[in-house]
Amino acid sequence: MPEPRLIVTGLRRAFGGQPAVSDVSFTLDQGEMLALIGPNGAGKSTTFNMVGGQLRPDAGQIRLDGRDITGLSPRRIAGLGVGRTFQITATFGSMTVRENVQMALLAARREFWRAWRPVRDQHAAEAAALLEAVGLLAQASRPAAILAYGDLKRLELAMALADKPRLLLMDEPTAGMAPAERVALMQLTRRLASGRRVAVLFTEHDMDVVFSTADRILVLNRGRLIASGTGPQIRANQQVREIYLGTGQTSGGH
Amino acid sequence: MLTVEGLNSHYGRAHILHGIGFTASAGSVLVLLGRNGAGKSTTLKSIIGLVRPSSGHIAFDGHEIARAEPHRIARLGLGYVPEERRIFTDLTVWENLEVGRQPPRPGLSPWTPERLYALFPNLGALRTRPGGRMSGGEQQMLTIARTLMGNPRMVLLDEPSEGLAPVIVEQIEAAILALKAEGVGIVLAEQNLHFARRVADTAVVIESGRAVWSGGMAKLQANPAVHARYLAV
Amino acid sequence: MGFLLSQALTALASASSLFLVAAGLTVIFGVTRVVNFAHGSLTMLGAYVAWTILRHLPRDPASFCLGVLATTLALAALGALLEMTLLRRIYRAPELFQLLATFGVVLMVQDATLHIWGPDDLSLPRPPWMRGFVTLLDQRFPQYDLYLIAAGPVVLALLWLVLNRTRWGRLVRAATQDREMVACLGVDQRVLFTTVFALGSALAGLAGALALPDGSANLGIDLSVVTEAFVVVVIGGLGSVPGAYLASLLIAGLQAVGIVVLPKITLVLVFLVMAAVLTVRPNGLLGRPVAAAAVLGAQPPVRPSSPALRWVGVVLLLLFVLAPLVAPSWILAIGTEAAVAVLFAASLHFMMGPGGMPSFGHAAWFGIGAYAAALSATVLAAPMPLALLLAPVAAGVIAGAFGAVVVRLSGIYLAMLTLAFAQIVWAIAFQSVGLTGGDNGILGVWPPGWVASPARFYWLTLALCAGGTLLLRRVLYAPLGYAIRATRDAPARADAIGLPSNAIRVVAVTVSGAAAGLAGAIFTFAHGSAFPTYVSIPRSVDALLMVLLGGVGTMTGPIIGALAYTGLSDLLLRATELWRFVLGAAIVALVLLFPAGLAGAFAGRHGDA
Repeated sequence: MPEPRLIVTGLRRAFGGQPAVSDVSFTLDQGEMLALIGPNGAGKSTTFNMVGGQLRPDAGQIRLDGRDITGLSPRRIAGLGVGRTFQITATFGSMTVRENVQMALLAARREFWRAWRPVRDQHAAEAAALLEAVGLLAQASRPAAILAYGDLKRLELAMALADKPRLLLMDEPTAGMAPAERVALMQLTRRLASGRRVAVLFTEHDMDVVFSTADRILVLNRGRLIASGTGPQIRANQQVREIYLGTGQTSGGH
Repeated sequence: MLTVEGLNSHYGRAHILHGIGFTASAGSVLVLLGRNGAGKSTTLKSIIGLVRPSSGHIAFDGHEIARAEPHRIARLGLGYVPEERRIFTDLTVWENLEVGRQPPRPGLSPWTPERLYALFPNLGALRTRPGGRMSGGEQQMLTIARTLMGNPRMVLLDEPSEGLAPVIVEQIEAAILALKAEGVGIVLAEQNLHFARRVADTAVVIESGRAVWSGGMAKLQANPAVHARYLAV
Repeated sequence: MGFLLSQALTALASASSLFLVAAGLTVIFGVTRVVNFAHGSLTMLGAYVAWTILRHLPRDPASFCLGVLATTLALAALGALLEMTLLRRIYRAPELFQLLATFGVVLMVQDATLHIWGPDDLSLPRPPWMRGFVTLLDQRFPQYDLYLIAAGPVVLALLWLVLNRTRWGRLVRAATQDREMVACLGVDQRVLFTTVFALGSALAGLAGALALPDGSANLGIDLSVVTEAFVVVVIGGLGSVPGAYLASLLIAGLQAVGIVVLPKITLVLVFLVMAAVLTVRPNGLLGRPVAAAAVLGAQPPVRPSSPALRWVGVVLLLLFVLAPLVAPSWILAIGTEAAVAVLFAASLHFMMGPGGMPSFGHAAWFGIGAYAAALSATVLAAPMPLALLLAPVAAGVIAGAFGAVVVRLSGIYLAMLTLAFAQIVWAIAFQSVGLTGGDNGILGVWPPGWVASPARFYWLTLALCAGGTLLLRRVLYAPLGYAIRATRDAPARADAIGLPSNAIRVVAVTVSGAAAGLAGAIFTFAHGSAFPTYVSIPRSVDALLMVLLGGVGTMTGPIIGALAYTGLSDLLLRATELWRFVLGAAIVALVLLFPAGLAGAFAGRHGDA
């Protein structure tokens, strides 16, 4: 049994004296998909941003492959192998799909200061391989700005994988997508992540996606971890039903 | 009460809506179902005047409103609740409601902040809180309440359940049913079929900017082909 | 002690004047999202109108108040008229075009004012009641200034009451955040916008009228007032009225201290304080984040130029190279101007197009290059090649330092700050008579014998300008150029893939500044002199017009724009006395005809959809 990829212990953070996250601990293995769910304002984003480095924890420790990354800057953390996708898609609209991935590869290799040789032929083969993996190769020459929404999400995934991340943070990765596309995107993520031994931590409101793709689920409420376990365990948890899942009538009977 | 006929709309050069048509009536809930990007939001924006339709007719309460300006359409009694909620974050809850205030409408008992606090008890406890310091669920209630201050005869609701915890969605559901009971017509754009099932009377399925199916909600439930083809749940 | 008190009171009085102007600007911006460059022109008109009215009234306090009130109302009406005829049509245009259109109004108002009131400064003879003094701690203090001191807080309080305690005010505050949503709630935006604009203009008029007794109505008010107001509004936070008052106090206080301690560095001091405030609070003291609106609109993907276009370029360049063999020297002079213009425009495009950082004061780098070259040649007695090297280095270093402070700011703050910075460089050039010769400029900066002939200097210019422009292009197609565009397209994504966005943007500003500095240096040697006009606002606007004329979204745009603009402005200057009015009207017409920007008008050619 290898050491877990990510170990979070005793994470705390308060805003203006109000605790937003209190004593949150969890681990995440290589190739594992872990979903973070909970009501609005439960501390999901705060937890997420502390792992990604956007927020500094008041207390607690975050270890990535044994290395303490607590409180490092987002760019340092990214450099250590933490990739990220955003709730609202963000790609480079003035570039083609291929150029978007080339840019991510150039950034990953710290080659962005080069000012002479044109980008056109740089890392083209590797970009093609990544596009192939997410199924976008046929659209490589189109401007990213005119891609369909689901394709943009897949482009973001390809860009996040360019740096060969050890850990992928996905903030509401399927927000705004059609139900069928949602599960498909996360299953693609799952396939690519387990093949590359990438650990994935994601937040999500769509219970169909959570229950069909997550290996384990963490439930936060008022900044505290109130449950963790597999889909069936979480579904059966009375407390989770009360504060989050409700009767299940509006969320697919989960 | 609201009749849409042959509606065509463009975003820039992209042709989004291709001849959409449907009729919605007072005191009932019509849901526009469809995948993301199918054209549900654009339909609502075209009705309220935020997107100018390139052709087609929209009649509301006997007035032709296609290509009218949003404020004129709103004054006729058509309310719009946007997907992004668009709360005035610097204004307090009460001030947000006041911005929405329009003169009472004959035949409808006028909405007041007090009545709305009764409908959404969460808001009553927050009346002096700035809109920006509310949770997503509270903001969703406020944006609906703000639109009701205009005493609309019909409300367009764009994905009110998106991004909300299931318990909050159940409260929104209760509010929609209460409005319907008051005789207000509702046009809902939704992807969440579970939610739509609970509140809607009739459904229009939109795919690639076309209305591909319409009928009663019960009929839709009994039609697995439509589910598989357009809704893919 | 008494001296300090009198200084403090003077500062408070000028804070009030500043606030009145800035409050109008910030209220208008808040709702309409238009940075109204013509706000200074409205203040100037306020002064002229007040002069005309007060001259015909008896000289007692009551009549003075009546005259000021009439001026305020007149300007409110004028503002409403301006909103209904012009601004209403450009709300959807990208920010930079709005700024440009209102600058067109500035030019038109300038010529119109000159035509109506003449070139002389007009001042009011002070009636006895105004000449009164109060004695405070043995210091005599003008009574009128005490009224001014009170005016600021009184207007602030009235504005606060109106904005917070009336329905109109609530609607204005709501529209400040989301005017479309306000319309969906049944509020007629047009009435709201026109009334807001009238209120802002009334405040400008009030400021102009109240400043009249202490000064005069003159043609320099517009630009000096609007630059100061920009600084105040940026420090206070765009759209925040209380912020504008705080910032007015801060700036007026600094000026008072500066005048006592070190008069020459007052302007620099003001800028440093602004930089400090924005470093700590990127949205100003009391401002909120301004939604990153499209400064230029969405940009199409950049494609390599087609073979045909390359051939056109090669042939054009060849024509330019061969020109001296046949053309007379006056044509070569225009050719030199055009080459310098191309490099200048390309440098602005580099930062504004791919970099997404609008610059309304690009003349700053041009001017710094020009003065650096002139000073190296005269004071340091450096040979021309060294001067031509030092100039871009100086401009680049200063641009980099400026960039380090401002790159985190959003588009419209950048546009205003670049403008303010250019005005400060201009003021330094103008005031440091000992070093720069002030208005007389630095003369006698001619090229040495080996390139003194018109043809040789022309070839040198062509080599440097074409070389510099091609180098900029090369960078844009290389990883650095892509990284610059990446930080513009999606800053959050750029950070997430590990691009150091701020450093990349600083480099973009530095390169852009250095290229503009080289253009300025060549210009200096071509004319044998450096003048403060090299740093003036019209020169910055020239560069903007060239870039926008050619289109921002393409790499060839600035070259075409610069060539076209040099030809057109040469014609215009020869053709009419009223060139400012004509140019202003042309700018306004351009923006009205192509509200999506000229590049947008031809977007179909580049789109791929």
